[in-house]
Amino acid sequence: MEFLIGITGKDFVLTASDTSAARSITVMKSNEDKSCDLNKHNIMLYAGEAGDTVNFAEYIQRNVRLYGIRNGIELTPKAAATFTRKELATSLRSRHPYQVFLLIAGYDITTSSPHLYWIDYLGSSAEVPFAAHGYGAYYCLSILDRYHHPNLTLDEAKGLIKKCIDELNNRFIVNLSDFKIKVTDQDGIREITI
Amino acid sequence: MDAFVNRFKGSSTFLADEISMLDGFGSYDAVKEFSQPVFEIPAVQNANCTDEKSDSECRIKIEHGTTTLAFKFQGGIIVAVDSRASAGNYIASQTVKKVIEINPYLLGTMAGGAADCQFWQRELGRHCRLYELRNKERISVAAASKLLANMVYPYKRMGISMGTMVTGWDKTGPNLFYVDSDGSRYKNDVFSVGSGATFAYGVLDSGLDYELSTNDAIELGRRSIYQATYRDAASGGSVRIYHVEKEGWKFIGLYDVGKLHWEYCGL
Amino acid sequence: MSILEYNGAAIVAMMGKNCVAIAADKRLGVQLMTVSTNFQKIFPATEKCYIGLAGLATDVQTLTERFRLKINMYKLREEREIEPRTLSHLVSTTLYEKRFSPYFVEPVIAGLDKNNQPFICGMDLIGCRDVPRDFVVSGTASESLLGMCESLWEPDLEPEDLFETISQTVLNAVDRDCLSGWGAVVHVITPERVITRNLKARMD
Repeated sequence: MEFLIGITGKDFVLTASDTSAARSITVMKSNEDKSCDLNKHNIMLYAGEAGDTVNFAEYIQRNVRLYGIRNGIELTPKAAATFTRKELATSLRSRHPYQVFLLIAGYDITTSSPHLYWIDYLGSSAEVPFAAHGYGAYYCLSILDRYHHPNLTLDEAKGLIKKCIDELNNRFIVNLSDFKIKVTDQDGIREITI
Repeated sequence: MDAFVNRFKGSSTFLADEISMLDGFGSYDAVKEFSQPVFEIPAVQNANCTDEKSDSECRIKIEHGTTTLAFKFQGGIIVAVDSRASAGNYIASQTVKKVIEINPYLLGTMAGGAADCQFWQRELGRHCRLYELRNKERISVAAASKLLANMVYPYKRMGISMGTMVTGWDKTGPNLFYVDSDGSRYKNDVFSVGSGATFAYGVLDSGLDYELSTNDAIELGRRSIYQATYRDAASGGSVRIYHVEKEGWKFIGLYDVGKLHWEYCGL
Repeated sequence: MSILEYNGAAIVAMMGKNCVAIAADKRLGVQLMTVSTNFQKIFPATEKCYIGLAGLATDVQTLTERFRLKINMYKLREEREIEPRTLSHLVSTTLYEKRFSPYFVEPVIAGLDKNNQPFICGMDLIGCRDVPRDFVVSGTASESLLGMCESLWEPDLEPEDLFETISQTVLNAVDRDCLSGWGAVVHVITPERVITRNLKARMD
């Protein structure tokens, strides 16, 4: 019952994730950050099987950082997504596959363009203008289809995320009370409120 | 006319005693003709050939993918539906009529089993006509929808699949009800039913306003169904729109989604 | 539901007169929900040979990477491009390596060999090759593709006629399949060049 969403705009990517960590029928924590900074310009949002998510995310994060230190050049969003996809695809045919759903959002400083990658637990990856994971996707994708355009400004994107969250609060059976919203652009990653 | 009415009057018992509650609504002969399964526990045994909920490997895949919606606004009710019939992954038809014109003042929509919806709404139409003949006035939407809910409820857990909206204009004004084969019946201002319903809700809720003009309301209904057909693989074909007014329902139009997409893209 | 039908695909290859064509749809879905309408399913192996992969998207992407490695290694070792027929055996053995936990893809190969003779090849998910002289199909829309091929295809089509035939085949076939469509891409491979065109399709 988790929810991740990402929207690319003109020169940024806006991402949001719900903040509830649930186990069985209990909410254990209501301010969990379900994202991690892979490097200065790339962020990964994760959801899925408890335990798998954080372990996998940290593994990816450390390896992406290591690559940056070793080679003196940071992975681009595409490179980070390709690496992550391969790790998931390999894990799929192991004894304990990671069951993790991911969104990798980043700003490619070499081409000055924002990118967003949708990756599921099987290791299918697709670059998309906007994406969502979890049941919330069933409500939000049509809203994004309706209102998204490539030259979206940050204010428009914030409005769009708000529309999606309002719809979830209105229609979705599970009450996702709070969301962590982050912007990734040429200055790096920062948290914002709307 | 009374002689005619008398032929249909009087109670009859049929099937099992559990359905006797329907007697109050008059005779019920179409249903009486159902042949019952020979199994000892029909409710369990009969389900497995068509009911995907209880058995995902069910042998008969019947029409399931759909997007339908209806909402109230100041000018009445807009009803919009897609027109795809799918059996498994196969697209059986792109030109299905998922709105059933029960009578000039009542509309029903189809989601779930196509045959289930068609049969029961036709049966509902017959009852509504008989009600009119007996009582010399039109049936209310509330009563009609309750009639439908009560008709299908005895068949719960026997594999019937039906998610329908009953709309119309009666003495109390525009009315909108949701009735399904579980026996649920709700009254509300907005409903969307089918596999693409969540996608339709997304667009519908974000654009809905009671004070919408009729043209804007029609456009909202059309756009919502279109967005659902884009994201939901089991919905598609054409958007069919009806407007329910005081004088009864009015057919607005049929719009091919194949063309609509490029129109909305500005091409 | 079969794992081969999880993401949805429609791929077809056809033989022409001194040319071959291969076409695929563009949808990536998660069962009934469409996620992307710009998903690549056909990949160039050499200048005159393409591989189409229909099936589970993760395996499509994994195999693309593996084939690219193998084709490049072949080129370095042999100092020549791989022939379509050789490639089909390479693909077949790669799939059979995983006989007991297969990759869930059904590949289609289309290309011209060194004498510019057309070659097409289809395969099941564990590498049983099928080398017909007319057409091969693969993916969730394979039944309708086959029907369209049987009625539209004829021998010795010129490149432009072959393009028209394969385009009509793929567009009409995906219109009868829930899980594929949302645009299509066609490659017609001729001795001189490869004609690549994106087709406008129904988006439902």
